Amino acid sequence: MSVEAPAVQTPATPAAAQHRSAGMPTPLLGMLLFIASEVMFFGGLFAAYFNSRAAHQGEWGPPTSAPPLEILPIALPITIILISSSFTMQLAVWAIRRGDQARMRFWIGVTLALGVIFLAGQLYDYSQLGFGIGDGIFGTTFYTLTGFHGAHVFGGAIGLTILLARGMQGQFSQRNHVAVEAISMYWHFVDVVWIALFSTLYFLR
Amino acid sequence: MQRLAARLRLRTVIRVVTPLLLIVVLGGCLIPPTPETTQAKDIFSLYTIVFVMGAIVFFGVEGMIVWSIIRYRRRDDRLPDQLHGNTLLEIVWTAIPTIIVLALFVISTITLTQIDAKSSNPAVTIEVDAFQWQWTFHYLDNDNDPSNDYSVTGTAADPPVMGLPTGQPVKLILHSQDVIHSFYVPHFLIKRDVIPFPAGQQDNTLEFTITEAGTYAGQCAEFCGDLHSKMTFSVQAMAPADFATWLADAKAGNTPAPSVSPPANATTVNITAEQIAFDTSTLEAPAGQAFVIHFVNKDTVQHNVAIYDASGKALFTGEIIGQGSIDYQVPALAAGDYHFQCDVHPTIMFGTLTAK
Amino acid sequence: MATTTLSPRTDSYRRSWVLDWLTTVDHKKIGIMYIVNSFLFFFLAGILALVVRSELAVPGLQFLDERTYNEAFTMHGTIMIFLFVVPVLAGFANYIVPLQLGAPDMAFPRINALSFWLLPLGGGLILSGYLFGGAAAEGWTGYAPLSGPNYSSGPGTDLWLIGLMLVGTASILGSINFIATIFKMRAPGMTLFRMPIFVWTVLVTATLILLATPVLTAGLIALFIDRNYGGSFFEPATGGNPILWQHIFWFFGHPEVYIVILPAMGVVSEVIPTFSRKPLFGYRAFVFATISIGLLSFSVWAHHMFTTGVVFLPFFSFMTALIAVPTGVKMFNWIATMFRGSISFTTAMLFAVGFLAMFLIGGISGVMMAEAPIDFHLQDTYFAVAHLHYVFFGGSVMGVFAATYYWFPKMFGRRLNERLGKVHFWLMIIGFNVTFFPMHMLGIQGMPRRIADYSPDAGWTVLNFIATLGAFMIALSILPFLVNIVATFINGERVGDDPWEGNTLEWATSSPPPAYNFDRIPPIRSERPVFDLRHKHDREHLAAEAAMTTVEEQA
Repeated sequence: MSVEAPAVQTPATPAAAQHRSAGMPTPLLGMLLFIASEVMFFGGLFAAYFNSRAAHQGEWGPPTSAPPLEILPIALPITIILISSSFTMQLAVWAIRRGDQARMRFWIGVTLALGVIFLAGQLYDYSQLGFGIGDGIFGTTFYTLTGFHGAHVFGGAIGLTILLARGMQGQFSQRNHVAVEAISMYWHFVDVVWIALFSTLYFLR
Repeated sequence: MQRLAARLRLRTVIRVVTPLLLIVVLGGCLIPPTPETTQAKDIFSLYTIVFVMGAIVFFGVEGMIVWSIIRYRRRDDRLPDQLHGNTLLEIVWTAIPTIIVLALFVISTITLTQIDAKSSNPAVTIEVDAFQWQWTFHYLDNDNDPSNDYSVTGTAADPPVMGLPTGQPVKLILHSQDVIHSFYVPHFLIKRDVIPFPAGQQDNTLEFTITEAGTYAGQCAEFCGDLHSKMTFSVQAMAPADFATWLADAKAGNTPAPSVSPPANATTVNITAEQIAFDTSTLEAPAGQAFVIHFVNKDTVQHNVAIYDASGKALFTGEIIGQGSIDYQVPALAAGDYHFQCDVHPTIMFGTLTAK
Repeated sequence: MATTTLSPRTDSYRRSWVLDWLTTVDHKKIGIMYIVNSFLFFFLAGILALVVRSELAVPGLQFLDERTYNEAFTMHGTIMIFLFVVPVLAGFANYIVPLQLGAPDMAFPRINALSFWLLPLGGGLILSGYLFGGAAAEGWTGYAPLSGPNYSSGPGTDLWLIGLMLVGTASILGSINFIATIFKMRAPGMTLFRMPIFVWTVLVTATLILLATPVLTAGLIALFIDRNYGGSFFEPATGGNPILWQHIFWFFGHPEVYIVILPAMGVVSEVIPTFSRKPLFGYRAFVFATISIGLLSFSVWAHHMFTTGVVFLPFFSFMTALIAVPTGVKMFNWIATMFRGSISFTTAMLFAVGFLAMFLIGGISGVMMAEAPIDFHLQDTYFAVAHLHYVFFGGSVMGVFAATYYWFPKMFGRRLNERLGKVHFWLMIIGFNVTFFPMHMLGIQGMPRRIADYSPDAGWTVLNFIATLGAFMIALSILPFLVNIVATFINGERVGDDPWEGNTLEWATSSPPPAYNFDRIPPIRSERPVFDLRHKHDREHLAAEAAMTTVEEQA
């Protein structure tokens, strides 16, 4: 057969070969797609919430035996904490994009701490609410939505812990830190979901 | 060579056409049951139009497939013309189906409006209570006294009959006591789901006007659990005058017998129904004297207690009740073993009553 | 055609083949495992179908009680959809897509393996209900409140829910993998519009899975909470609405059926051009039709709920009928591909043409039910059962067998016997029609679905009996298939890289391919790189190709 320029595929580990392709790194695309599926998951839960609320006869809210939902003293502070953690996460990303591993580790640590405080606050809030998941349709939708959001924060916290551990072993550099970018996308997503949740549960009511 | 090719073609034709013919023959009746309400007749007309269109598409496109595979069999090694596409053709065979779809939509929406029309003054209003796995038809009249309403509950042996007048609008209120059921009469070409909505949401209703007298079978058409297949009923349509007589007779027959006070010192036997089961499968009662069965029904589903002898003859049939309790006055039984059961769920709720 | 002489054979390194397969991240091995696992579930669900049909042959309950019957049809539907037809097509996609793209593997090989292993796990959980007091028995659609805590107590339904959550997760992970692979790992020269149509259908399918399956997961979790934590999502007594379950389920459920049919359409779009010796007619129209079907599939879900009285009928009726348009475009393009072609009737081609003939019937019955007034009569009857089997079986399963006969030589280096293949095809397609065509009539006459028994006075006996005969004929048709597989492994005819004179890149490497797929990839200048390579000395063809390339880029 005549010699044309054969297109020889570089048999390679996925990440290394990507220097030839333009656009988003593959792991980041994977994370984006995963986030899309999570958006649909929360979409299903939000749909259940709104559908139940629209069909509900009478006052929509916690059962009469429990106090109404208040943004203080817990809900608003933990919201501020979670939103701040998005900022600190982004600071970590900018740090490693500059090649500053130490700063990155610092800001990841802060983000992780803020996330843990959010979770602790959420759990404390649960203990003060006065109603449970089995207390009527509001209780069910409230706990399901906030509970799964909390689970996702927990998953993000695990991701951050792994980033911290890998960061302490010096595995990230200016040119090679796609995991940090990916986890930061996830963390921002989790924050956006909370903003939607908080607005829906505490303002829209 | 020509003969071989012709034989091959013939074999292919046979192999292809035979299954298709089989389909058509097996096809037999693709026509719905005779429509017996005004709404059903409208649906039947729509069905005819859509079916004819479907048949045209079927024969046309299947014909094209069959023709292509026969006519363009590989005969030699020549590479055929490598046609990649034709934009005009794509536009044509996108536009024409779109127009057909639009036309179907218009006709179907017109039919929908026709059949959904609600009358302001139905001649008969029935509350249909569906429960696992039977029906209660509760004829509502305009007074506020439920005790003189006619109500019939089906049993496994005796599915309920809904008597209705012809020529007059009828309204059904579809109420579920447990899971989703569906009220379906094939000759009416219609079904409507019976859904346990939460408080405040209105039950589904179904309205129709029957055109011919007759008896029409019906059954539950939404899977509702174990005995879904047994949830049958029938509609008996008759001229309005006959219906009036039928309803009056039914009401008279249903007046509860004047309550008989239990004999002094009568033994009371207790039995409870819960979650479609009796709390016991053995009962004991005194032989040779009347006794009372105190029956508690904790379900919303209807139950009763009935007693049969060994030959299957009913010795006592208690009134079927919903949630609540009732004292059955049971006549004296000779010593021996008897079969008792709930007539609504005879295969699940039964036991042995021993008189001694 | 270039074979791989440059690489060492993978079996020249000693290792346990069991460990090899258990720990593999090679898309080809994973694809084969998907396919084998799926066929095992297919046979299981097929036996359940025979159980159901045996009971229904004549009136009266001969072998089963109602509960067992209800478990049987529930498991049949669940297994067929979630554990056979979706995974088997995922398996073929897994094997073939990287090859057709000229890639060495999928984008995320380890997640690929995880996706596969979740399947036997999830399937096992679903089936384990039989060991713990009874499998789920509420139909594959599991409507509330029947599937709720009050009316289906017992672990069977909970195991069904958890098993499905795992299977759904496997699907979602797989879809991420396919989308990333298709966008990031195409060989140089392969623009999106030079990808094989099969890859396009996999891309759209993966997008549907990505967006629809998580909604099902949300619903399954909600039902689990109702059943186990006193939740009120679907419980009317505490403020919940059973209709919500139907909305959530069908918002997933309808895209699901397009997830099931699109890859099979992709297979047919590979097989027909190959065995007509012509390119697929209207490649671009095909791509746009596929994308339209994907988009439209999210707008029709409530046509499963026409008789609930709570949906806006005209909108859903219109969108449902509208989906017939891009589907019709595909049908016409397939016929146009065969038109003026040079058709060889290999078994793969027979199944592909069978797909066309049978799926057409399913499509027509679907448009009939799309008209709401007609659906009032036909919903929840055997007409729906006929429709769904004509599209699932007459459509997807025919496509699966076409894929099997077509790509078996690539996977195993041996061609399946054509004679046995034809026996399989004819027995299957005749048996299929004998089983399911009478069900149209039964439904039109008013026989509801999901009933364990029917009255001898209903007049449904003869058709039911015929349908049962057909079911056993389908079962019989599996025998030549299995014999074929075994015999071919033992002593089948060996083939080289390109036994069918195919068009796409999988035919540019050995059969089976080496671990890393390609030593050399031919130049990619059209959607048929292997065809182009085969005809590169044909000056006429080159000129036509050059002219066509400009036209194509303009189109």
